[in-house]
Amino acid sequence: MARVNNWQIGREMSYWYPEARPKKQFAAVFDTNKCIACQTCTLACKTTWTSGKGQEYMLWNNVETKPYGSYPLAYDLKLLDMLNGQAWNGNKYEGQTLFESAPAGERVLGWRPEQQDYAYPNVGEDDCANQVDHGAFLSLPHMNWFFYLARICNHCTYPACLASCPRGSIYKRPEDGIVLVDQNRCRGYQECVKGCPYKKVFFNPLTNTSEKCIACFPKVEQGIQPQCFVNCIGKIRMAGFLNKPEEARADNPIDYLVHIKKVALPLFPQFGLEPNVYYIPPIHAPASFNRQLFGPGAAEAMKIYRNAANDPDLAGLLCLFGSTEKMVTRFRRQGDLVTAVGDGGADLVRVPMHETVHIRPAIDPMNQLVRINIP
Amino acid sequence: MKQSILLLLLLTAACSRGPKMVNEVVAVAAAKLPTLPADSAWDAAPEHLAALLPQDLVEPRLATPSTPQIRVRSLTNGSEIAIRLEWEDASKSETPGPSKMVDACAIQIPEKMEKDLPEPQMGQEGKRVQVTYWRADWQATVDGRGDTIRDLYPNAAIDHYPFEAKPLEKGSDAQREMALRYSPARALGNIRSGPRAAPVEDLIATGPGTLSPGPSLGAAGKGVFAAKGWTVVIARKLPEGLSPNQRTSIAFAVWQGSQQESGARKMRSGWIPLVRRNQ
Repeated sequence: MARVNNWQIGREMSYWYPEARPKKQFAAVFDTNKCIACQTCTLACKTTWTSGKGQEYMLWNNVETKPYGSYPLAYDLKLLDMLNGQAWNGNKYEGQTLFESAPAGERVLGWRPEQQDYAYPNVGEDDCANQVDHGAFLSLPHMNWFFYLARICNHCTYPACLASCPRGSIYKRPEDGIVLVDQNRCRGYQECVKGCPYKKVFFNPLTNTSEKCIACFPKVEQGIQPQCFVNCIGKIRMAGFLNKPEEARADNPIDYLVHIKKVALPLFPQFGLEPNVYYIPPIHAPASFNRQLFGPGAAEAMKIYRNAANDPDLAGLLCLFGSTEKMVTRFRRQGDLVTAVGDGGADLVRVPMHETVHIRPAIDPMNQLVRINIP
Repeated sequence: MKQSILLLLLLTAACSRGPKMVNEVVAVAAAKLPTLPADSAWDAAPEHLAALLPQDLVEPRLATPSTPQIRVRSLTNGSEIAIRLEWEDASKSETPGPSKMVDACAIQIPEKMEKDLPEPQMGQEGKRVQVTYWRADWQATVDGRGDTIRDLYPNAAIDHYPFEAKPLEKGSDAQREMALRYSPARALGNIRSGPRAAPVEDLIATGPGTLSPGPSLGAAGKGVFAAKGWTVVIARKLPEGLSPNQRTSIAFAVWQGSQQESGARKMRSGWIPLVRRNQ
């Protein structure tokens, strides 16, 4: 085991290989507050990549309803239960990561889902955290809550799938940090399926290899965001590249949201993988639940997001989500106009922060008629 | 007293009918190599009982020992060698899937006959080992099982395969090409990704984690499951330089799918002498 730095847990940790960060790190921000669980992302991915034989059950992208939803079943709860004592001291994690708590003879603390764990891809859909009694739904604020959590591979800085593979069939691309299973080298041992805490590697029984989200690398190589991003109806996603905290740039959208505003947080940072999909926590879910999912920064992130209306740069950047299919590597705001800039420095799109609103009077004064809106 | 004598006689008779046991693997000359595990030609070969140990040298290790031993016989026709492996297994595991591993076995022989043997566990840098590997699911395919998810799981839900939709013609090149786009391992020619024409494969290794397709040694095989477990025949070219009465070494590995054994999680032997005899 090597000693590596994991900024998400505020300390060094043990990992199977030495620290080797890519030249650029593919990363993304998902705004959970905007997701409506339409599953368009899920289908965009499914039709693009996993419509083959042996891939029937695979969902490289899925959207689950929290607190009960999970795919595969209880993927998160099982591991949270196995990983005891997840204490934080401020921003420093004082518990053990999955690598540090690996049992003797294992590379990672993990478990492998059974077939039936994949049988309920949308279990818990729209289920509230508690029962809604006696007309409680008629009053505000609502006492009960749920939210949607869209998930893809996190293309982790310290992937547990990669560490788990005894024959080095999984690699992290040095050019963009995308994590891939070498389909020519894989021998289908399913160690990666066991090791990945997010359960985003799937075994294909007809090819005897394990397969996973590839971050649509053929698109990313051309500066275009992946399928699940550009097809997102709710415009909840933005893909880009993330720098290390000490090299964060204020004009890099992902850096700005993750490092500077700290409004977007990793999923289960305590696992120690330094995942690179970041979530803006749901502001109507309890801070304690968000803390378990997204770490100690959750409460502050909720506060910052709630205040976005008074923070023009943050609000402006949020307006760029879903505004272009290109990868946005820079952004700038001038007054009410936010501009997305591509890798080559060219402006991709300009978005007004406030749309001009025209309100038509209900009465047509010329014809003295009441207007009726029709679809 | 009479009873004791009778018992002794019975025991003697039973022993005389049992296989001749040897403390090394003896490849006995045979005009024709049997391809089936039940062939009577195997009766000519003495039996070696090889003790197996859990793989506990590299992570991930096998935590709980399973198959304690295998029974081994060998025959050679002068150009090829056939090995018959028998081990007890309470359940037949031949359907791969999530958390479903398959039964398998392998033989390992040093690539070169040298005084200094390679490391018994998958060889080492500069001292390659040849591995011939057999799998129960490949055997099922070779024995006629189809290549669809419903051949593995009859009740599997299938939404839609785009390559089976019009206007693509069934069996056309265009259809095959499109199907391959959803099957990257097959598109890349990963020999493991099927559909398999043989239940065995030729591999080469220079240490744990280095197993890769090797030069063809003409590997062939056949496995049959019965009440007690598996009997598998693995045949390949005779090790280079193995003349009559000369020795090389051989090692074995067994995976029980029902025990979640796969890859490095296996039962294995150390090096065992392999001698070629004309008689």
